[in-house]
Amino acid sequence: MRSTKLVRFAVIIFSILGLSMEAPTANLQTEHTLAGEWLVTSSPINGQTASPKGVSLGFPDRDMVFEQQGDIRIGVVLREDVGHNVRPLGVWRVNGDQFSTTFQLWCPNEDGPCGSIVMRGRFVREDRISGTMTAFFDVFDDSTPTGYDSWTFSFVGNRTAAAASGGSN
Amino acid sequence: MVVLAVATTAFSGNELAGRWTLTINFPDGPNSTTTRTQTVTLEVFPRGDSLHGRANLTDESGKKYGATWRQVGKRVSIAYELPCSGDTQCASMILQGRVKGGGILIKKGSVIVVWDTPNNRNPALFDTANGTFRGDRIE
Repeated sequence: MRSTKLVRFAVIIFSILGLSMEAPTANLQTEHTLAGEWLVTSSPINGQTASPKGVSLGFPDRDMVFEQQGDIRIGVVLREDVGHNVRPLGVWRVNGDQFSTTFQLWCPNEDGPCGSIVMRGRFVREDRISGTMTAFFDVFDDSTPTGYDSWTFSFVGNRTAAAASGGSN
Repeated sequence: MVVLAVATTAFSGNELAGRWTLTINFPDGPNSTTTRTQTVTLEVFPRGDSLHGRANLTDESGKKYGATWRQVGKRVSIAYELPCSGDTQCASMILQGRVKGGGILIKKGSVIVVWDTPNNRNPALFDTANGTFRGDRIE
């Protein structure tokens, strides 16, 4: 009888301990989201001022807005300083604390090269991200694995506004 | 003949906007020599006076995800994120091609695949691969 009480007591204690240990883990597993507005600052790795084929991006700071509409995750770089029709668009996904987003650069005519940007990063905090991004220009370069001229940067980003309509992963 | 002429006009020359079937061939994982074929329906929304446009992509399983596109002349580029799932590696996909045939065909397009696996020996710092794709306009 006494041993039964002891077993019940032990079960209760372990249950309480188990719950108290699980709670922080659940908090840590909160899903991240890019939804919202971010100021992202990039700098070329190794100090390169242009791609190996001489293509430049021209601006280090990017005001980026990410949204989620159902399963569709989209983004836009605000470049009204350049022109009202210049709104580079992108898509994104999150996997744990890692994220990936891909943007299309803007190209006003066929004279110059164009390209796409792939960003890979992680959430340092819910309001701070860091990672690397690579520009793939549509200029052929036999020295790269893809065969396209590419230029890699590191970046950090700080959230400047939360999602407008409660976006999530 | 008249129908063909009308159809060509309706596509605004070589503008990508409309619905397409894309057949995309690419390795099924980093360093894999096995080719995977993904057939998707791409619904390309008009871009108005913007240089960029949005698109929705529906894969074989009916899953829908976002894409973005740009076009200068006949040259188009379509980008989307390949979602992570149990049997497929996630990746970023960049498709490049030329709209031909009066706006109904993208032939011999090229694909850049950027996997999620880090690789310090790759200039992109992640594993990459190449693929091909073809586009056929549905409407």
